[in-house]
Amino acid sequence: MAISDELRALESEALAAVGAAETLEDLEAVRIGFLGKKGSLTAILRGLGGLSAEERPEAGRVSNEVRRSVESALDAKREELERAARASRIAAEVVDVTLPGRARPLGHQHVLHQVVDEIVEIFSGLGYRVAEGPEVELDYYNFTALNHPADHPARALQDTFYVKDLSGDRAVVEGESDVLLRTHTSPGQVHVMETQQPPIYVVVPGKVYRRDVADPSHLPQFTQVEGLVVDEGITFGDLKGTLEHFVREMFGPDRRVRLRPHFFPFTEPSAEVDVSCGICGGSGCRSCGGEGWLEILGCGMVDPNVFGYVGIDPEKYTGFAFGMGAERIAGLKYGVPDLRHFIEGDTRFLHQF
Amino acid sequence: MRVSLTWLRELVDITLPVEELCDRLDMTGTKVEAVHTLGAALEGVVVGQVLDKEPHPDADKLSYCTVDVGGAEPLKIVCGASNFGAGDKVPVACVGATLPGGLTIKRAKLRGLESQGMMCSAAELEVGGDASGLLILPADAPVGEPFAAYYGLSDTVLELEVTPNRPDCLSMVGVAREVAAVTGVAYRTPASTPAEEGVPASELVSVEIADPGLCPRYTARVIRGVKIGPSPAWLADRVAAAGARPVNNVVDVTNFILFELGQPLHAFDLATIATRDGKAAITVRAASEGETIRTLDGQDRALASDALVIADDERAIALAGVMGGEATEVSEATMDILLESACFDTASTSRTSRRLGLISESSIRYERGVDPELAARASDRAAALIAEVAGGTVAPGIVDVYPGRPDPLHIELRTSRVNALLGTTLTAADISGLLTPLGLEVSGEGETLDVVVPTFRPDLEREVDLIEEVARLFGLENIPSTRPGGRGRVGSRTPVQRFRDSLGRALRAAGLDEHIGYSFGDRKDLDRLGWELASDEVLVELINPMSEDQAVMRWTLVPSLLRALSHNQRRGIADVHLYEMGTSFVTAEGRKQPKERLMVAGVLAGSWTRPGWNDPAPALDFFDGKGVLEVVFDALGVGRWTVRAAERPWLQPGRTAEVIVGGDVVGWLGEIGADVLDAFDATGPATVFELSVPALVKAASRTTRAFTDIPRFPAVTLDLALVVAEDVTADRVMTVMKSAGGTLLESVRLFDVYRDPASATEEERRLPAGTKSLAFSLAYRAADRTLSDDDVRPVHEKLIRKVSGAVGAEVRG
Repeated sequence: MAISDELRALESEALAAVGAAETLEDLEAVRIGFLGKKGSLTAILRGLGGLSAEERPEAGRVSNEVRRSVESALDAKREELERAARASRIAAEVVDVTLPGRARPLGHQHVLHQVVDEIVEIFSGLGYRVAEGPEVELDYYNFTALNHPADHPARALQDTFYVKDLSGDRAVVEGESDVLLRTHTSPGQVHVMETQQPPIYVVVPGKVYRRDVADPSHLPQFTQVEGLVVDEGITFGDLKGTLEHFVREMFGPDRRVRLRPHFFPFTEPSAEVDVSCGICGGSGCRSCGGEGWLEILGCGMVDPNVFGYVGIDPEKYTGFAFGMGAERIAGLKYGVPDLRHFIEGDTRFLHQF
Repeated sequence: MRVSLTWLRELVDITLPVEELCDRLDMTGTKVEAVHTLGAALEGVVVGQVLDKEPHPDADKLSYCTVDVGGAEPLKIVCGASNFGAGDKVPVACVGATLPGGLTIKRAKLRGLESQGMMCSAAELEVGGDASGLLILPADAPVGEPFAAYYGLSDTVLELEVTPNRPDCLSMVGVAREVAAVTGVAYRTPASTPAEEGVPASELVSVEIADPGLCPRYTARVIRGVKIGPSPAWLADRVAAAGARPVNNVVDVTNFILFELGQPLHAFDLATIATRDGKAAITVRAASEGETIRTLDGQDRALASDALVIADDERAIALAGVMGGEATEVSEATMDILLESACFDTASTSRTSRRLGLISESSIRYERGVDPELAARASDRAAALIAEVAGGTVAPGIVDVYPGRPDPLHIELRTSRVNALLGTTLTAADISGLLTPLGLEVSGEGETLDVVVPTFRPDLEREVDLIEEVARLFGLENIPSTRPGGRGRVGSRTPVQRFRDSLGRALRAAGLDEHIGYSFGDRKDLDRLGWELASDEVLVELINPMSEDQAVMRWTLVPSLLRALSHNQRRGIADVHLYEMGTSFVTAEGRKQPKERLMVAGVLAGSWTRPGWNDPAPALDFFDGKGVLEVVFDALGVGRWTVRAAERPWLQPGRTAEVIVGGDVVGWLGEIGADVLDAFDATGPATVFELSVPALVKAASRTTRAFTDIPRFPAVTLDLALVVAEDVTADRVMTVMKSAGGTLLESVRLFDVYRDPASATEEERRLPAGTKSLAFSLAYRAADRTLSDDDVRPVHEKLIRKVSGAVGAEVRG
C-alpha cells in the first residue's frame, strides 16, 4: 500500500475516533494516539525521511493535509465538548434564587437620635453650630438666668430632680441644693451667651429630666433640642420664617404651621408652634384630638432680662429661642403610642427605624 | 379655667359662632383645651308626669306606673323607688336614652311586666348626689320638655388654658374682657351697692396689717343677722358650672364672686373672733414660731415662720389666701359675718400653699396676683348678694386698710422698637388701636407712646410686655415670615462631635443597635457588679429620686445594657447586640457638680443572626467583642492599641482584658461573670465593653494618615508553627517576630491555635504537656524587588532564633 493510502486510512480512523470521543479525556487520548510523540501519525511522518525523492513531495503534501484535517477535527470536537461540559456545569449550579441571602446584620441608630440628627442637619444647613452643656446643672443656669422667679413652681421638689451638693456651700447646710438635673436644654442658651459674643446661631441637643412617673405619655428622662439666635436686627418674623422652614423640612412641604401666643419666662413675645395634622390634613381627627393641629415646639424672642444676666445689650441685639422634644416629634412622625418604648432597648422596636 | 358660655354671654356680647370664638382665643394666647357640650349626654331624658301608680303584682318593692311623657300614648314603667305618687313630675329616660353612667334604656320585662323606660334619681342623671329616690320636679315643669333644657343643663363650657402671666383671665369678667378685646365687642362688669344700716363696720371690726409687704390691702365688711341655708338655684348652678360644689348661701356667694370677679373672699363667723375694745380685732401677720392652726378640712397644720396668717388676739384664724380655720368657720348657727376681701403677696401665698400641699381656688389666684383695686368692689357686691340670698343687714362702711396702693404704671413704648422686634410696619395709631381694647390707656403719637397699665394686668411691667400684647392682638399669623440674613456664618460641628457621629456609625456598621437607657443608676448595682469605686469617687445622689432603684446617677453604662439584654432575653430574643453612648457621673467630696464623662459601651449575646440554611451562626464570645473594637478602631483611625489580660469583678476571670491605647487604659472588654448575669436576670455568654470616648478622641487625633506605596513586587509567604508554653501570649510572640523580622517582614497573621485535647491519651498527645502550638503566616516583601529564597532565608532563620530565645518556642515539625 502506498504511503499516501496509509495516511488516508489513518485519517479516516482518526476522524472516526474523534467523532466517537465523548469526553475531553477521551479526546485527549485520541490526540495522543495519533499526534503524540508515540502516535501512529507521528510514526508515519517520522518514516517520510526514508522515502525516495519522487515519493517524498506527494507523501509530504498528503501527510500535512492529514495532520491539519485531524487537528482541526480535534479542535472542533474539543470546543464542542467544552461547551457541553460548561453547559452541564451551569445546569448543575442552578440555585433557588429565592433562598435567603447570607447577610451580616447592620446596626440601627436609635430613632430619637435619628430625629435629633435630622433636626441638627436642618439647622446646620441654616448655619447653626451645635453646642452642649452639662446634664447636672446649677439652678442659676436652669432657672434664674432664664428669668424664672424665685418661687416658680417648676423649681419645686416634686417637679425637678435635685442633686446632693458636696461642696459644703451654705445651701447644703440648709438641707437644700442648687444643683439639679436640667429640666430643659435651655441652660445651654445661657452658657453659649456667657462664652460667645453675637452673632450666635446654635442648636443644643441633649437629655433632660423631670420628675414624672414613666407611663405612655411621660418619662422622667427625655430628649430636647434647643435653638438660639442672637444677632442685630433679629425679628419675630425671622423666628417665624425659620420655624416654618424647619417644619416643612422635617414633616414635608404640605404641612402647614401656625404660631399661637403663649407664655414662657425666658422669651417674650412667646409662642407655641403647631403643625397641621398629617392624618386629616387639618380638618380634625382622632389622631389630633379633633383640633387639626399638633403642638410640636415652644419659642419666642429672647427676654431682655435673659440678656441682662449674660451681659448682652438688648438695645443692640435681639434674638429668638426655641425648644422641642425629640420624643414628641418621633412619636408624631412614626406614630409611637407609648414613650416607654424609647427607653427599654427592645430590639424589635429598635429594628423598626 | 372653666367658662360657661351661658354665663359669659351675660357679660359680653359674643358675636362669633363657638368654633370661631375658640379659634380666636387660641390665636390670641388663651388656648381652648376642650369644649364640653353639657346636656347632650341626657338626650332622650324628658320631663314626665306619673298618671297612675299601682303595686307590681309579683314584687313587693316594685310599682307599675303609667307615665305621660308628652307622647301620643303614656308609657308603662316598672319602678323600684317609693318616694313619689301619682301626679308627681319626674325625669323619664325613654327607650334609647343613654344615662351618664353608660346605661342604655331598653324595653325590658321586669318580673313579667314590660317597662318602656325608666324614671330617674338625681344621681342617675349626675345632677346631684341623691340616689335615695326619684328626682321630683316642680309641679310647673312642662311635660315632654327635654330634661337637660328644662333643668338648665344645656350649656357649652370652654376649658381655657390660662398661662401663669394672666391672672386676670381667672375670672368670668376677665375672660369677658379678653373676649371683648380680641373680638372687638363690648363687655360689662357687674357691680352692686349694698343697702346699709345699723352700727358702722368700723365700730365692729378693727384691722391691722403687721407686714404690709405681704398684704397690700385688707378690707372687712360686716353682715348681721344672716340665715345660713341652701342657695337659690341660680347661685348653686353658677357655682357648679364653674366647677365648685355648692355648700350654703354665704359660702356660695363668696365662691360666686371669686369666679365672677376673680377676688377670693372669706367669710368668718364674727362671733368666734376674739374682740379687743369691743371690736373683732383682725391682725394680718407672719406665723409665730411653732404656731399651728386647724384648717377647714379638719387638719392641724404646723406653720412655717414665713407663713402669713389672719389672726385675732388669741390665735391664727385663717391661712392668708390659702384656707380658713375651722374655729371661725361659718356654720348653720352663724348669725353675723365678717367678710374678708384682701390682697396678699404672690410669693408668700405660693410658698405656704405648696409647703402645706393646699392648692385652692383662692391660693391659685393669689399666687398669680389679685388686683388690689378689686377688693372693695368685690366686697360691696358680695355683701349685697349675701343680704339678698341669706337675709341680714349690711353694716355701713367697709374697714379698708390699704398700705400697698399702687401708683399708676406708665410705660414708654417706642413704635420703632415694636417694629424692630416683630418685623412689622405698624404705626402709632395701629398700636394704640390694638392696646386700647385691653383696658390700656395709650397717649401720644409717633415714635413714643405713653401707656398706662390697669391694675388688673400685673404682667405688663416693661416695654417688651406691651410689644407681646401688640403681637398677639395684631395676630402672629399677620407677621411676615422672614429668615435671618447671611453675614457668612457657617454651620459646623466640632471635631469631637464629628468623632462621636463616626463612632456611632462604625458601631452600627459592626452590627450593633443603638440603645438609650436611663441616666439614673441603682446603688445596689455596685453589689450586683462587685464594682468598687475609686477611693476619691462618690456616687451622685439625687435628693428627691422617683424610686430607690433610680436614686443615684449612673457611674457606668453597663447596668443599662444588661437590663436591656435581660428585657430582650425575657421576651425570647436571644441575639442582642447593643451599644450606648452616654454620660456617666461621679463626684467627689468638695465638688458641687459631678464629673460628667462620655462613655461608650456595648453588649453582645446570642449570635449575629439566627442560623440560616447556609449560615451556622456561631455563638458570640469574647473575640466577637474584640472584633467589634478592631473594626471600630480601624474606622476611627485609633492606631497602636493593644489589650492586656486583666481582672474586673463583674467579668469572668481569664476572659477579661484592658484596652490600652498609647500606654493608657481607655476601657475594658470581657465576658460577664455568671453571678452578675444572674443578678441582672440575663443569660450568657454575654460580652461587654466600655470605653472612654474622650480617650478615643485623643488617640484618634494622634494618628496621622499618610499614603504609602501600593506594593509592586510579590510577597514571599512562609508558614511557621511554634510550640510555646501556655502562658506565652500570642501578642508577645508577634511582638518579638515584628522586631526580629526587620524591614522585610511585612505582616504576621496568626491562623491557628492547637492544643492537645484534654481527653488525649499519652500516645495521642502531639505536644509536650503545658504547651500550645501557634501557627503563623509570615509575609516578607521588599518595596524595590522580587525577593529570592536567598533574601528571605537568613531573615526567617534569624526570626526563628530570636523567637525561640525570647519565648522558648520550638518549631513544630
